[in-house]
Amino acid sequence: MMTRRYRSRTLGVLAGTMSAALALSACSTAPEASGYKEGDPYTLTVWTNFTGEAGLAWFDSVAKEFEASHANVTVKAQHIQNEELDGKLQTALNSGDAPSVFMQRGGGKMRDMAKANQLLDLTGSAADSPELREKLGKVSYEALTVDGKLLAAPQLVQPGGIWYSKDLFKQAGITEIPKTVDELAGAIDKLKGAGITPIALGGKDAWPAAHWYYFFALRECSKDTLEATNNSLDFSDPCYEKAAKDVVDLAALKPFNEGFLNTSAQQGASSSAGLLANHKAAMELMGNWEPGVVKDLTPNREPLPDLGWFPFPQVASGKGDAKALMGGKGGFSCSAGAPKKLCGEFLALMNSEKNQESFYTAFGSIPLHADAQDVVKNDYDKQMIDALNEATYVSNFLDTNYGQKVGTVLNQAVIELLTGKTTPAGLVKAITEAAGRN
Amino acid sequence: METAAHVNRDVPDSARTGASAAEAPAPAGGPAQGRRVPWRRWAEIALLAGPGVVVFVTFVIVPVLMAGYYGFFEWSGYGVPTEFVGLRNYELIFTDGAFLEAMWHNGFILVMSLILQGPVAIGIALLLNRRMRGRSLIRVLIFVPYVISEVIVAIGFSLMLHPTGAVNDVLDRIGLGGLALDWLADPDVAIWTLMLILVWKYIGFAVILMLAGLQGIPDELREAAAIDGASYWQTQWHITLPLLGPTIRIWAFLSIIGSLQVFDLVYVIWGQYVADTAGTSTMATYMVANGRISGEYGYGSAVAVVIFLISLVIALVYQRYVLRRDTEGALTEGVA
Repeated sequence: MMTRRYRSRTLGVLAGTMSAALALSACSTAPEASGYKEGDPYTLTVWTNFTGEAGLAWFDSVAKEFEASHANVTVKAQHIQNEELDGKLQTALNSGDAPSVFMQRGGGKMRDMAKANQLLDLTGSAADSPELREKLGKVSYEALTVDGKLLAAPQLVQPGGIWYSKDLFKQAGITEIPKTVDELAGAIDKLKGAGITPIALGGKDAWPAAHWYYFFALRECSKDTLEATNNSLDFSDPCYEKAAKDVVDLAALKPFNEGFLNTSAQQGASSSAGLLANHKAAMELMGNWEPGVVKDLTPNREPLPDLGWFPFPQVASGKGDAKALMGGKGGFSCSAGAPKKLCGEFLALMNSEKNQESFYTAFGSIPLHADAQDVVKNDYDKQMIDALNEATYVSNFLDTNYGQKVGTVLNQAVIELLTGKTTPAGLVKAITEAAGRN
Repeated sequence: METAAHVNRDVPDSARTGASAAEAPAPAGGPAQGRRVPWRRWAEIALLAGPGVVVFVTFVIVPVLMAGYYGFFEWSGYGVPTEFVGLRNYELIFTDGAFLEAMWHNGFILVMSLILQGPVAIGIALLLNRRMRGRSLIRVLIFVPYVISEVIVAIGFSLMLHPTGAVNDVLDRIGLGGLALDWLADPDVAIWTLMLILVWKYIGFAVILMLAGLQGIPDELREAAAIDGASYWQTQWHITLPLLGPTIRIWAFLSIIGSLQVFDLVYVIWGQYVADTAGTSTMATYMVANGRISGEYGYGSAVAVVIFLISLVIALVYQRYVLRRDTEGALTEGVA
């Protein structure tokens, strides 16, 4: 369910300064809980979901850099296809044969791993240095901290919003980017009038449909309500039902592609991303992995030249801030038995300014590190960075926040909402019941 | 089976002599060898059956037992399960409308598979059992869908049956646009779509089984019937069908078990979430959605146990009341 967020080209990197990591590595040689002493031969195993060529090259260069500065340390990476990663990782963690470093998706899964004592507390490690904290932003660290323990080094943020075709908007005579849901409805009208499918939706995968609910909730609910719900899983605030009502109202406009329930999100030209890539639909609500996915689905496999982005519009009378953003926030964790110092240094190196910049080149995901953000070239990436820097609040995707159990029920309920099998009140009831089973 | 036994007595042909010839050395050689070098026999059994038993125990018996154990826990899948909840998972399963719906869908598939596939398969087999031009080509064509991977079939059909896909497009172009339906998402239509795909996919297997069964029916019987003046249909009804009985019963058994386990086609065509609203969910897709995808491995294990028990009960009942006469016959002959 959460897999898409890291689809192939995800990742951002934070920058920590290289010098800081090197300076730290020169300090103490006290043995750690893992039994590792500096200078001992050690193989640092790393599991990622990088499968593209550019990503592999990026990782190799980081690994070489790390080996060069750490005598006797070998970095051994295993790059696992995204959808396979979670299952393999779970087995490895349970069998006590976990990799030293692995990709962390955060949210409920991370909390479960922490509960089973499978994660290393990175507090005070090189990945937790004050410089990195400042450059990567407090918000990214907070998302990966549970009970005061830093369980993963933040690596990226993938804010979502509406991706659209500038040409199709022009063709339909839309001159202004919709800032409110009413304006969005106006744009939908104009697009339909021009014979263009307004919104591509990959309902088969459920999460793309559920994103519409998450974003409506982000606009309907106040920051305090959203944050309180992350812990209490209490959905009694009326804003949750209102958000569901917003989804129903939107669906009533029939803005989605024909057969959206059997349309997948990212596979092939007939997927929702494919519709956008081939000018068969004008908009899609997605995280910032979208340009990369769309690029693979255009006829010539080149980036879509007229691709634009705008933040999710505000709803009238919503209690949420129009500048609040939502997106995947993830990073890399170390397993409980890994040497803390070495692990922290590796994570810090992955997030150095230089590596974060090259990461952007390799993956096209906006850098989290403040000093690396000047490498960004695309308009939409710049827009997104501005939105991020202005954001009053960045929430993770709701299903990630609520954990797999409630998250899955929520996603399912949104599909039922779109098919009329349930009502807004029914959706709230379903997720409340799922939360009650905890 | 009575008929078959009767037939065997009346037909002192090569088949019968062949069987007795094969049986003959066993009583003589077996025990004698066993007395001299018993370890050799054991070594032989261990060598031949050992690998199979090890694989079966490791990958079937142990997981079944583990699922039974996990089913009593609330467990997210990380670490060791610690939160014992007794029978609560089982209570939830049987009070969850979604599971009951999924069970109903399995039942529907089970019954419809027997009704739709059985007669058609027998008919095709009878047809293909006759000498005619292009017989082997037709046999191959009918069997091909069974050989193709489920995932490929599923992806192919999901592309063709998508509302903007080939099927509706063709219907539109030949002026039958009125027949174009939302084959996959409309809850009134989707289960029938699934049923048709299942029939298309598995009919080849049924046909091959029936053909094999037909080969075992001696021609002499038909010739004798023809001499006695029986028509083609009388011959089929009074001779072929009864003698095909054991084959039909075995096929039905395999079809029933298969129907209880339908997963891949639904999972690939409808995905992880839409099967529920389209009315094509099965017990197995329910298990994956509510176990693995929602990270509730305890609950998912309990669902697996329920599916296992349902299949087991049905299999045992079927074996006891339907298959017994076939197997009994076999045993009697073996002992004699």
